[in-house]
Amino acid sequence: MARIVGGIGSSHAPSIAHAWDHGKQADPLWAPLFEGYGPAKAWLDAQKPDVMVVLYNDHMNRFFFDAYPTFALGVGDRHELADEGWGKRDFPAIPGDAAFGWHLAERLVEDEFDPTVCQEMRIDHGILSILPLLLDVPWPVPIVPLAVNVIQHPLPTARRLYRLGAALGRAVESYPKDLSVVVMGTGGLTHQLQGKGFGTVNPDWDNEFLDLIERDPDALARLHHRDWIERGGTEGVEMIMWLGMRGALGAGVRRVHRNYHLPLTTGLGLIVLEPA
Amino acid sequence: MSTQGTIFTGEMSRRGYALNKFAMSLIDPANRQAFLADEVGVMRARGLGDTEIDAVRRRDWAALMACGGNVYLVLKIAGTVGQTLLQMGAQMRGEPVETLMARMNARATGAGAR
Repeated sequence: MARIVGGIGSSHAPSIAHAWDHGKQADPLWAPLFEGYGPAKAWLDAQKPDVMVVLYNDHMNRFFFDAYPTFALGVGDRHELADEGWGKRDFPAIPGDAAFGWHLAERLVEDEFDPTVCQEMRIDHGILSILPLLLDVPWPVPIVPLAVNVIQHPLPTARRLYRLGAALGRAVESYPKDLSVVVMGTGGLTHQLQGKGFGTVNPDWDNEFLDLIERDPDALARLHHRDWIERGGTEGVEMIMWLGMRGALGAGVRRVHRNYHLPLTTGLGLIVLEPA
Repeated sequence: MSTQGTIFTGEMSRRGYALNKFAMSLIDPANRQAFLADEVGVMRARGLGDTEIDAVRRRDWAALMACGGNVYLVLKIAGTVGQTLLQMGAQMRGEPVETLMARMNARATGAGAR
């Protein structure tokens, strides 16, 4: 039987990819971010998961508004990287796990969640911006990507993400092979990329969120989209995707690591949790 | 916090459909080249109206978002013509990019970790 050995919550941002690709690992503006991922990478190295399920959002690189899925699951054995409009990054394609991915699709639909099932995905900075901070190349672990609509309203509710996480946990546990699985939720933290308020952040809410995702996720699941946007900006609503990770872990968790850094437009958070 | 922004609704998605579809085409390098070689011609061929074409020509990102442009898609247009997210943000705020950068540098911190 497969089991979830831990969860990671992490921001994603094109600026992280840009800083990485331009060798800013020791730059004072970026070092607290890259150093902050060290313990998470060491934890993953020790866990050696067989597969990772990653909740993220596509930023108009795989899906367009001709047909926009609320949830989309990548069930291919390989996921190409996206060209987001300024060229592909120099990384290999990401391995997938078709057998496990199709199993998740079957069990999620049985459990009344209905992802669009995708045999082809193009992965953008929603996953790739943080992947080199957590794993070495060649990518040592296959990923099943689970894309969430946090862009075109109406969006799924925070509560729905939390329940999706619980369903994901049940789906993992019903897989007959003896796999160890890490679930990751990406996005946020607070940021606002639109209008006169461009660049607004809320570090107090970022840190309170990091407290609550660990200790009281139900309080987060009760928040309406307008609460997320009021506290964390129009794009801060991405933070609901961490609830998909948290819901998969069950009620009690033990915190392994936590980091927060604010270099530019976006509060960048990181947490590593194990089921208690 | 004061978001002063606007969420991307179905109404905006309908209104900005042609603009956004054009911007989505820029994930293909061949389409980026064709656009840079003939901005107006490509936008006309993709069904954009005078308002959108004029806003792109003026690099007026705020106006494009008022036309229903999605932020991630408007960013693809900005990136294709050599502008960054921060330049786009400064234009939307109505201030020089240096002012925006200075404010961000002043608040940058790693001290929030607990």
